[in-house]
Amino acid sequence: MRDWEGTSPVVDVRGLHVRFGEVEAVTGVDLRANAGEATALLGRNGAGKSTTMRVLAGVVPPTAGTVTVAGHDVRRETLRAKQAVGYCPDVGGLVPRATPWEHLQLSARLRRLDGWEERGRDLLERFELGDVAHRVTAGFSHGMGRRLSVVLAALHAPAVLLLDEPFDGVDPIGVEATFEVIADARARGACVLVSTHLRELAVEACTSVSVLRGGSRVATVAADQMAGEEGARAYRGLLD
Amino acid sequence: MPTAASSTSGARRAVADVRHLLWFRSQQVRRGRGARWIAAAFVALTLGAAVVPAFMPGAGASGGRSFEILLLLPTLMTGFVVLAGVSAVASGGGRELLARDPAQIHPVSPTTDHLGALLLAPLNIAWLLQAWTLLGATAYGLGPAGLAPAQIVLVLWLAAATAVAQVVAWCLEGVRRLSRGIAAVRLLMVAALGAALVLQMNGALVPLLDRIPTTWVVVGMLSDWSWRWALTALVVLVVLLVATALGAVPAHLAARRTPRDELRVETGTYAARRLPRSALAGLVRTDRASVWRAVPMRRGLAVLAIGPGVVAVLGNLPWSSMTILPGLVASGGVLLYGVNAWCLDARGSLWRESLPVGPEVVFAARAYVLAEFLLAASMLTVALAATRAGLPSPAELMALLCTQVVVTLQVVAAALRWSAQRPYAVDLRSARATPAPPLTMVGYSTRLAITTTLTGLVFSGLARLPDWQVSAVVAVPFLCWSTARLLRTRRAWLDPSDRARVVMAVAA
Repeated sequence: MRDWEGTSPVVDVRGLHVRFGEVEAVTGVDLRANAGEATALLGRNGAGKSTTMRVLAGVVPPTAGTVTVAGHDVRRETLRAKQAVGYCPDVGGLVPRATPWEHLQLSARLRRLDGWEERGRDLLERFELGDVAHRVTAGFSHGMGRRLSVVLAALHAPAVLLLDEPFDGVDPIGVEATFEVIADARARGACVLVSTHLRELAVEACTSVSVLRGGSRVATVAADQMAGEEGARAYRGLLD
Repeated sequence: MPTAASSTSGARRAVADVRHLLWFRSQQVRRGRGARWIAAAFVALTLGAAVVPAFMPGAGASGGRSFEILLLLPTLMTGFVVLAGVSAVASGGGRELLARDPAQIHPVSPTTDHLGALLLAPLNIAWLLQAWTLLGATAYGLGPAGLAPAQIVLVLWLAAATAVAQVVAWCLEGVRRLSRGIAAVRLLMVAALGAALVLQMNGALVPLLDRIPTTWVVVGMLSDWSWRWALTALVVLVVLLVATALGAVPAHLAARRTPRDELRVETGTYAARRLPRSALAGLVRTDRASVWRAVPMRRGLAVLAIGPGVVAVLGNLPWSSMTILPGLVASGGVLLYGVNAWCLDARGSLWRESLPVGPEVVFAARAYVLAEFLLAASMLTVALAATRAGLPSPAELMALLCTQVVVTLQVVAAALRWSAQRPYAVDLRSARATPAPPLTMVGYSTRLAITTTLTGLVFSGLARLPDWQVSAVVAVPFLCWSTARLLRTRRAWLDPSDRARVVMAVAA
């Protein structure tokens, strides 16, 4: 059993506050996510979804509150937390003048991965990026960039997979491939968090849904409760 | 079909759009006491350069130094056109009033783009220094009598020369975007440099400079308030207006074609290499790719490295004066991206920051690649300059080596400090992109130029001493000071909140 497996939640966020100057982007989020589950973060623009994801990825430090990822406090054990996480950021997420293969190489080097090449090639093929593996990403379309970001997040089979807007501008094949990545991660016991505006896709890919509003969590429900017309009405009710 | 009426209304609309864009850009400039001081200093410096030298001892004398300066004016004015042209050509037609990405959603015409580039051309330390030098030289050469008419023509000349340079730049950018255009432009540049070298070797360069048409302009501008002055002013004004209008034509032609060098970078394939041996090596490799695969960096560095080197060869620069070159090249090179060094990763910075590597390694890689980039350029310049300078004395060689190390460290320390203090989200794909807004770039370049020129002058003096060890001893406090500043910036980078601020800003 790996150190992040067990009964306690893999992602544990308590009283998270994030402040940028005068702006308080997150105002007390509490969130728990377990191994083998996929949780969707839904909410309007500015609800604090992406900022919460950035804190979990170790990119932005929390202003207040405690955040543990795979048993590591992101404030004190940032590098260990980053080691456990695979992160697909909401915007871009790619170095413009590096190729997909160079991105994979950098990730593999910094994560001390061995024998990663086959998985890397397989992921690129699944996301239909095999033909452009050696082209710089500056010339990629938005959808191609999103797909590569998911590949990069999934390469090292992380304990915590953080996907921020992975379906944004992605074609159906890319969406299917992302579903597979999420399913694979759950099957091997990883904890998955998906932040998106696309409720139907979130419901399809995830087991539970947390709704954020104004920088804090207002509800966590089973994904099927957010499905269909009734789910849409319930969701709108939570946003108002 | 275009008609005279529609071209006129198009031009009118372009001018109005430039006004709107200028207003939009001005809203992003920090206001307050600092900005007012900068504006006041700029006006004071320009007026000071145009007037004060006229009242200095020896100014306007019929013989001596002031007369020699007047004789040199036509050459200096030609030099201004050449450098304005090189600057506009290197930046692919001049700077953008509105960056390409945000401009895409607006109906900004190539004429507006051309006029914006023309307005931004003076916001460049090389342009400003030369303009101030010309104003000062005219004032000193002429003295108080007839100063006003002379400076009026000179200011018109500066504007006209910039407009002509802009026309040339658009034309070359248009050619560069044709099939095999990049090779053609490179060939043209090599031919021009070769011709200049051949002329110099045969002693024909100075007689050629004596016959250049700027002599006619200088004679007119020194003719006080006379018909000859009026004719000169009118001719230069017509050149300014014609070049400004004419520039829109090649600007439109260039805008219709795809920038091939950018396309080549973005669609070309890069063979996979072996896995880097360490985390630092991996980061250095990624940073190097970000730098050397960027069109503005490659083009800018080639101009910066070769231009001053060729000028040094033509001017037969001695070893003792060569200490000016590393600072000049490093200051220019760092303005290509170093003053906003974290923007290299652009939106990839969020992903990079999520990778499990210590921030100190990331900082070390960025500083190393920047230093390497600057050293590569300045060493090429010095190598070119050395081809005609003979063998250096030990003191000259040591002074040059010390300058090289000192200014590189100075510039890297300053650039990384500014990069952390004021990060900007910038897309460096286009040759026209700059890592920071134009006014900020002027501030950076001024501070860099002052520091590195003074350092170069100190070591230039030391190169004339018989004892070579003196340069090494003097270099120590310089190095200690810059190292301390670099370490302070590194400490700030290690702070997660500071780092997050930078990462979020460049990824915005």
